[in-house]
Parts: sequence; C-alpha cells; structure tokens
Amino acid sequence: MSDSKGSTGLLDIKLHKPQSIEEAVKLLGDLEDAKLVAGGTDLLVDIKQGLITAKNLISLQNIQSLRGIWEETGKIWIGAMMTPKEIQTDSLINQHVPSLSDAARSIAATQIRSMATIGGNVASAVPSADMPPPLIAAEASGVLDCGTSREISLAEFFTGARETICGAAEVLASVWIPIPPPRTGSSYQKLALREANALAVVGVASQISLSGDKIAKANIVLGAVAPTPILALKASESLRGQRPSESLFEEAAYLAKQAAKPISDIRASAWYRKELIPILTRRSLDVAWVRVREQS
Amino acid sequence: MNEKGKVHRVIALKVNGEKHAVAIQDGETLLDVLRDKLRLTGTKKGCNHGVCGACTVLIDGEPKNSCLLLAVSCENIDVTTIEGIAQDGRLHPLQRSFIIHGAVQCGFCSPGMILSAYALIERRPNPSDEEIKRALSGNLCRCTGYVRIMDAIRNWEKYKGTEESPFFPQDLDRFVTVGKSLPRVDAADKVTGRAKYTADLSFQDMLYGKILTSPNAHARIKSIETGKAKKVEGVKLVLTAKDVPDITYGVNPPRYDEHILAKEKVRHVGDEVAAVIACDEDTAKRALALIEVEYEELPAVFDPIEAIKEDAPQIHDRYKNNINTHVDHHFGDVEKGFAEADYVREEKFLGNHVYQSPIEPHASIATWEDDGSTLVLYVSTQVPHYLQYMVARVLDMPLGRIRIIRPPVGGGFGGKLDTTSQDLISAIASQRLGRPVKMVYTRKEMFLHGRGRHKQHMQFKIGMKKDGTLTAVQSRIHLDGGAYSSYGVITVYYAGSMIPTLYKFPNYKYEGFRIMTNKPACGAMRGHGAPQPRFAFESLLSMMADDLGIDPIEIRLRNAMEPNWRTCNELDIRSCEFRQTLERVREKSGWSDKYAKLSAGKGIGIGCGGFVSGAGYAKYRGQVQLSSEKTLEPFVKKATFPHSNAIVKISEDGTAAVLLILAAEIGQGALTVLSQMCAESLGISLSRVRIRSEDTDISPLDLGAYSSRTTLMGGNAVVRASQDVLKKLYGVVGKIWDCDPLDLEAADNQIRHKKDRSKVMEWAEAARKYFNDNGPLVGTGWYKPPSGLGGDYKGAAVGTSPSFSFSSSVCECRVDLETGKVKIEKITDFHDCGTPINPQAVHGQVEGAVVMGSGEVLMEDVAYDGKGNILNPNLHDYLLMTIMDAPKIFSGIVDSFEPEGPYGAKEVGEGATLPVLASVAHAIANATGVWIKELPITPEKILKALEKSKRGKKP
Repeated sequence: MSDSKGSTGLLDIKLHKPQSIEEAVKLLGDLEDAKLVAGGTDLLVDIKQGLITAKNLISLQNIQSLRGIWEETGKIWIGAMMTPKEIQTDSLINQHVPSLSDAARSIAATQIRSMATIGGNVASAVPSADMPPPLIAAEASGVLDCGTSREISLAEFFTGARETICGAAEVLASVWIPIPPPRTGSSYQKLALREANALAVVGVASQISLSGDKIAKANIVLGAVAPTPILALKASESLRGQRPSESLFEEAAYLAKQAAKPISDIRASAWYRKELIPILTRRSLDVAWVRVREQS
Repeated sequence: MNEKGKVHRVIALKVNGEKHAVAIQDGETLLDVLRDKLRLTGTKKGCNHGVCGACTVLIDGEPKNSCLLLAVSCENIDVTTIEGIAQDGRLHPLQRSFIIHGAVQCGFCSPGMILSAYALIERRPNPSDEEIKRALSGNLCRCTGYVRIMDAIRNWEKYKGTEESPFFPQDLDRFVTVGKSLPRVDAADKVTGRAKYTADLSFQDMLYGKILTSPNAHARIKSIETGKAKKVEGVKLVLTAKDVPDITYGVNPPRYDEHILAKEKVRHVGDEVAAVIACDEDTAKRALALIEVEYEELPAVFDPIEAIKEDAPQIHDRYKNNINTHVDHHFGDVEKGFAEADYVREEKFLGNHVYQSPIEPHASIATWEDDGSTLVLYVSTQVPHYLQYMVARVLDMPLGRIRIIRPPVGGGFGGKLDTTSQDLISAIASQRLGRPVKMVYTRKEMFLHGRGRHKQHMQFKIGMKKDGTLTAVQSRIHLDGGAYSSYGVITVYYAGSMIPTLYKFPNYKYEGFRIMTNKPACGAMRGHGAPQPRFAFESLLSMMADDLGIDPIEIRLRNAMEPNWRTCNELDIRSCEFRQTLERVREKSGWSDKYAKLSAGKGIGIGCGGFVSGAGYAKYRGQVQLSSEKTLEPFVKKATFPHSNAIVKISEDGTAAVLLILAAEIGQGALTVLSQMCAESLGISLSRVRIRSEDTDISPLDLGAYSSRTTLMGGNAVVRASQDVLKKLYGVVGKIWDCDPLDLEAADNQIRHKKDRSKVMEWAEAARKYFNDNGPLVGTGWYKPPSGLGGDYKGAAVGTSPSFSFSSSVCECRVDLETGKVKIEKITDFHDCGTPINPQAVHGQVEGAVVMGSGEVLMEDVAYDGKGNILNPNLHDYLLMTIMDAPKIFSGIVDSFEPEGPYGAKEVGEGATLPVLASVAHAIANATGVWIKELPITPEKILKALEKSKRGKKP
C-alpha cells in the first residue's frame, strides 16, 4: 500500500459500460490493461491504494443478463451481478441454500452488501471470501463466458490466492446450484474479530442431506485457512451413511482440522485458525442438522 | 479541483432532485464529484476505502459508500445526500431526533449515520434494535458509543409534524440552563451537512499539497533529486528540508526534536521528507512519485526493551541509549511499606498501541492576508493557541500576525494536539506562492503521523494488609515512544502521577522510561499516559482481592480516596465522591448477586479511574511573546498567564450575548456547556447566547481541548466575564432606580430588584441603556489555576490540577470458551464529574469512552511488520467497534460539587475512559478463570491461556 507515493490510483482510468457479455468480452480482448469491475468494493480500494493498476475498467453494471435469481432445470441460477443483500433476502436461496444466506449476511456492512456482488466475491478469489465455501458445499458451478460458455465446478475454480482458472478473456456470468434433495440442511459459520466490516478469521460451510435417518451426502468446506477454499474430503466422507450424532460431528470436525493449511497474518495465527476449524465445523453441522429437522 | 481541465466526459447527475451536468474524469468517485464539483460537502471523506461510512449517500434510496462509486456509473440515478433530507429549511423528524437525543458529538459521522437511518425508517418506520444495528453496521462513530444514536432512531416518530422553529428546538428557550440536558448549540448544522469542517472549505485559486514519506524506518538521506517533479505540469513548488526553516519544534521546549521535513535522517516509515504543491492533489501525488531520494539504510529498532541495550541503533544523538525521558519518583518508603504488608504480589502487564482514529482526517489550509503580512491558517486542531504559538516559533513571526481558524473538528481524542508538518508546509508554501494551499492527510498518513497511545511495558507490585489496606505500590514502566518526543515527556510522568489519586496509600515508587523506537511518534491520547497503568494497577488489585477472599469492590472502598486529601505524591484532591461511584455501580449492576456466582463463560468485573480537570500548568512557562526572544524560564509553582479567557459582548440592542472564547469544540460539547454557563450567569435564555470560538483574531486565548480542561477552566472564565457584564449593567440600572447595584439580580431575561419586586426591567432594555451612555457592553473574565499546585520535586507539575474526577465501571460479558470470543453485554458506570452542566453531554462522553475503552481492550492495536511498516493503516484492519459490537451502557452521575469548578463542575471527557479497561479485563478473567495481562485481549490470547490452564475453572 502506498497512497502517498507512486500510485496515481484511479486518475487515468477509463470506464467502459458494455451492454452485453459479448461486448464485454470483446472489450477485454481489445483494451490494454483492462479489468472487469462488478461492485468495485474491493477493486476500487485496491486501485486507490496502488495494489492494483489498470488503465481500463469494464463495468458489468449495465448487462441485464448478469442479473436475477431464478429456478430452472433443477438448478438455482444466480446472476453474477447479484448483491449479497439480494441473495440474503431471496426466498429460493433461503429455502434451499441457507448457508449462502448466512454468508451473504455476514459480509462487510449494509452499504457494501448492496454494492458488492456474488460474481466479484467468487472471481476475486480472496482466501477469506465468505460466499465460496457455502457455494462449494452446495456443489455449485460457475458459468464462464467468452463468447461461448463453459461450466466449471466451483470446487475446481480456485487455483490460488486471488487466482482462478477463469481465462483472461472470460467473464464469470453466473453460478448455479443444484437444488438439493429434500431433507438437506446447510450452514455457514464464521468467526471474525468484530461484528461487522470484518473478514473471516475462519469460515466453515457444511451441507448435509439425509436419507432415512442417515446422512446420504455431506460437504464440509473451509474458508480462510488456505490459499483457496478447501473441501474437507475425509471429514465429509466420514459422515456418509452415518446417523447424525454429537460424536459423529466431533469426529468430522477433528478430520476437518487435518485438512487445513492456514497461515498466520494480522488477524490470527495459524495455530488459532486450526483451533477454530473443528469448533466451527461442528457448529455448522449442528445448525445444518437443525435445519434438516426444521423441514419435517 | 481539476485545473488542468482534463475531462473524459460530461455526465448528468441527479442529486437531491436537481439535475447537474458535470464534467468529469472516469476515475473520479461520486464522493469527490459531490464534494469538489457540486460543493455538497455534507458528504464526508473519512477513510476513502469503504469502511467508515461517513461518505454514505442514498442511491435510489439505498445507502452506499460514495467513495467506492465512480461518478460515471451514477448517471441518471437518484442520488440523495444529507443536504437533501431537510426540506424547505425544516429538519426531518429524524434529524430533530438526533439533535434532541444527543446523538451528535463531533458530527463528522452524522450525515452518513442519518442517511443510513433514513433509508431504514423509510422502509420500516418502527425498526427493532436489531434492525437498527444492522442498518448502521457500516457507519463508524468514534464519539458517541452509539447509545444515543440508537435512541434517536427508536424515537424519531415523536418529532413528526412538530411546529417548532426548525433550527431552534424549544428547549433552547429555557431560562435556567445549567444542569439541564439541552441539545447542542451546533447540532443543527451538523445534522444538515451545513457544518464546514476544514477539508470542506475551498478558496479561489487554491493549490493542493502532498507530502513524500520515507519508506525506511531508519536511514540517512544521501540525496534528494526533485528536478523531474518540478517539471510536471501543474506543479508549483517542491520543498525539502533545505527549503524550509532549519528549526526544531515539538511539544515540550527542552525536547523539540522534529523538523518540518526530515533533515539528514529519517527515523520511521512515514517520516516526512519532501512536499509538492500543485494545482490539484493528483498532480501533486504524481510529482511525488518522481522525487528520487537516495537513502543509506541504518539498522532500526522497534522494541523499547531492545532499544535501551548498549548496542542498539541510536535514533537521536541527544537521547543516550534511546532514553528520551527517565523518571525516578519515590514517595514515602516502599521498602518499609512492603515489609509492613501481609501480602505482596507483583505482575507484568503489556499495553497496546492504540490510535485515536478520529473519523475526520487532519486538514490544513493556509492563506495570507493584509498584503501578505498575516498568516491565516485553518486547521482541524484541538489546540488553536498552541498551534499559533508553535507556528510563530517555527516561522519566527509575532503571535499577533498569525490567525488560526478552527472550523468544526471531527474528533480529536489527543490525535490533533500536535502541530503537523502539513500545518507548517501549507503556511510556508502559501507564503511563497501567494495562493491558498490546502493539505489533507489520507487515512494511512494519519497513522504514519501517529501520536497514538504509548504502548507501555509495565511491572506493578502492590503490598497490602490482610484486610486489603494498601501499604505500598511500586511500578516500573517502559513506554514505547516512537521516533519523536511529541507529548511523551508528559506521558511518562502521567503514567506514574495518576496512580496515587484513587486510593490512599503512603508509600509509592515509580520508575518510568520513555524510549525512542523507529516507529511513528506516540503522543497524548484520551487519559494521557494513565489508562494502561490504571488497567494494570486495577487488575492486580482485583487479583489480590480474590487471593485474600475480599470482594473486589470492598477492597476499593477500604482504600478509597476522600475529599480534601493530599496524595503521597503531593496532589491536592478537593471534591471526591469516589466511594459513591463504587457504591452506586455495585447496587446498579447487581454486583453482589453476580460476582463469583455466574456460570462458566459469564463474567463481571470492576475497574476504576479518574483524571485531572485541566492541567495545573501550561506546556510552556513564559509570557506570550515573540518566540525568537524567548529563553527557557525556570519552573515556578504558579501559572504565569491565565489559561482560559473569555469576553462576553452584548449586542447594541441587548438581545444577544456573544461569547468569545478560544476553547476548542472537538465533539465533546464545549460550545454547548460554555454557552449554558454564559446564559445562566447572565440570567438570559440560551437562545440569546451565541459563541465564537473558532478564530484567534476574535476570541481571547484559551489553551484548548486537552487534559479535560474546558468545562472547569473555560467555564470559570465565562462565568467571570458574564459577572463583569452584570456589574456594568447593575451600575447603570442602580443609578436609574437609585439603589445599591448589589441589590440587583438578573434572571429570566430581566434585571430585578431583589427586595422590591415592583422594580423590573427587561434585560435587553437595560443593555440598550448601558450602550447609549457608555458604548459597547463587554465583560471579560479569565481563569488561572491556583498557585502552588504540586510538590517541589522534578516532574511535580504533571498531574496537578484544580480538581480531579472519579469513576467506577462494572462490565458484564460473555465469553465463548471454545473460541475465546468475547461479547461485552453491559457496562454500568458512575462518574463523579462534580455537578454536571449538561447531564446528556456527560452521558455522551461516558458512553463514547466506554465503547472506545472496550475496543481498546478487545481489538485495537497498530501492528507492524519487521521493518517498521504499519500492517493496518486503515479502518478495515485497524478495528474500531461498530454499532454491532457496542455494549449496552448505563451511565450514572453521582451527587458532587467541586468548589473550584464553575457551578460545581469538573471533568468527564478523559476520565471516563480510565475505569473501562480494567473492568473489561476483570470481567473476562471472571468469565474464563484466566487473567490476560496483555492488551488487546483477543480471542486467540484467551484461547491460548485457557489451553494453558487446561480449561481453567472459575476464580
């Protein structure tokens, strides 16, 4: 960060406002040093502080096809430009993926929640981002568009801190979540150092689906404990075919802890992050299980 | 602010229903366009990175941070700013509610706060507390503790359709004003966005300056090449150390050690090296990047304990072993005291580096008038007079040719006491260029300028009898001072001198070291030097009470200070209702039913504090005179000049009293309480009093807002000036009625004969009669602290005061024993502020202090990497409590009367911080069974301690 030297920040930026994804993709290819901007809540701060430079910003705000939350072909589709505020209040999402509402509600503060977007939260690939863990736990996929579109599971989307498989000329247009089977519950549990405007020290999303009295499927995803969100495979698998119980969740929580590779930073030490994982994992499973039972 | 005329396009902005065609560059934020192009400066720039919420505007009715919106993307969208909330000169009921409930202090966050609340009530007229908190979660307030903001929003509907005059709530017309919770006299301007803070001002032909700061913590400057920067189009002036007066400045005359721009060496990352003045801020920034500085890096030291070692890098030649100040105080005989004790315990404590973080950044605008012979300097300062004095010294000008103007200040807390480089550079540059020069720190530059709380490494030892009677106290403290002295010399004395003011004990030894390190200078922050030692002392006292099985409140009562007591370090306590504060918090919090009786994870704790009501001595000793004539005068035990001075000037028609006093309003409510005292002592209603405190040309010297001095010292000067007016008025009326002027009184806007009730004259009429025969009716008054305060030992001046405040806080918290996360649920506080002039303002100060203090304990800490770079120089990573974090607060005031204070009043502003720290730390210890002795008490530290004690049991 050097706002007193060097950075001319936003001064020279040209803003482009394409009306369609095709136009945006073309601009991405044609313009020198161009970046997509959705809500701008991270990007503009980074540019002002000289962490990122760009000559051209391509705003996605006028592209209508990036908006909306709808149900189609057994999936919930969420346009990339949808804000945390729109997501946290959406009835489809609250009904089927409450963990995503949890995450949306926990982001920053009121103003930011109506400016930021799910597309930005995912595509920026900040390790502490709140929405990726519940999305991955819900087995969501992203639709990448570069004229033609491809779909990619979000579990494979993140390749490093602030790095994704999204190509230089691609736009993350939407994400979709398969509508979970009945008797599915999910939850996102986050610990931050204050109650608003704070990044996750650790965030854990769990989603479990019951069949009979047993867990048919489970996903536990850890956030802020590695460069990318981590699907805790062993922990998730340990739940399959089992009856929910305190000891079962404890065991899964313990396994989740083994999956993390946290770092120490200004918010917490690696030690503390590791200590939090089993606690938040267990709590997310508890709440997910409560939510399953609330349905019946 | 775009002299180069570089324009990308013209856009249509619809703001508050009005359409504007604005020429902009794409990179301009809506915030900058609103402020700089449409001159709608009610929208504030606090952090410029989307956290503080001061820039909140409504976009199609929805609150958003205008600092994160590009203006170009707001075309043809309805933008509502604070200026659009009042209609046709009538306040919105929400704004009125903010005024009446005391939800406004410094006012800098108020526009954003009100817009967030407005959006909420438009949607939900009767929001729940939870909804209010969520709606305001993105608006930081550093002053109020959020309590009265919640009240204002809960009650806003009450003020619908009232027929009061829009900008004067009825309360202002009450006759008896002292002791009443009247709304602030400056609140209406602050809730409408009309109040112009320094950065809101602009002048014709104005230039902008930016400062180049050092990337190195410690380095020799080998060369500075400014050629390329000078060639940038739009650059008017580039300054380095050789272009500015070669003189040191600072706070305490013996330790002036700062240069306007670094000379030879830089001593911390952020040390100021060169400045560029240009046609706009961006051009200045661009030019800064072209200045080439060659540094020879020197070894740096960041830890005070390392810095005093023999082989440590020497930061200033004059401070051997980096020891800036050493204090060695011994009163009574501690060895004897410890020998007499039945129980002695010693513990180490560590404080944190807290930064004041006012929401308003420091700003300066300089211009020269009277054909260039008079400097006019607009500054967001707490101490206009000291600034004037320091500018006079540095520029070697008579004080009388410097006019300081202090616009409304958006919070200070001690962070706006020091003269900044930008104050001096703007003055120098403006003189050279003959044009106004404006300079404003960014949030990061504020952190780099520093002057936050010293981090203290403390060792405390207490001895007591079996019954808890204190026999001896000893402390040894190393203060991490940063790279310059600033207020630190005083800080290291305060760290020792305040300890004996709360409890009676005969033996006390204090050794303090203020040590230089390669970090931004630390200075005076709310409670100056005292809060961390008080946290340590109180914590140790509670530990020992538990050890001996004595209730922690009981042990305090057994040792509590009494009125009219001389402490072991020779401070004279006058009024003292400390016992009452203890008894009242015990009762109100239900302490006796809770202490040691709560379930695991729940805790309750006590902390106490107190502070001076104005420092007994000024920072410089001599007369006010041309600075270059001045030689350092020896310390004498009396104030050599009055610390507060007031003039009351009555308008020719007698209907208004204009109170002139330089006492600085920084959010604490000085304007209001001084106006109340003026109205009360003149016998007129508050609506007839106006106060001018922003201009050294208009108002006489007052030392400003520090050491909690304005109510007591300023108030005494105001009362005397008012009495002077009445004396003159009584003389005239006495002649008319042929009676003894001593038989007259003033009340209810009238002059009356005390015995003959038939003799009544309108106050205004009497004043007119005075004017007709005698010319202007003006009264003057001044206040000098009593002579002889303090002992005769070195450093005895620090801690002296005409009177002291006392307070107790009880904190109740809940700790998640699995994660270590703390939720402070409630803080109950009672304060002895003497007789309050404005109880609502007192509560506002306490509530703000409670939240600030709670945040200091739980989350605030300036963090550094290994090279002296601040890791969190922003409000995203440096954590201030949000409305969602703030506890419930009960603030109470005990019955008290301070004979030295005006109407019996004494301080509240700083003293209110002091009890909070230990009460929170104690409550956490009580909830968890583990004492954390290092601030801040993060969840991680708690969990670590719990692990260590194998899931500790309750104490």
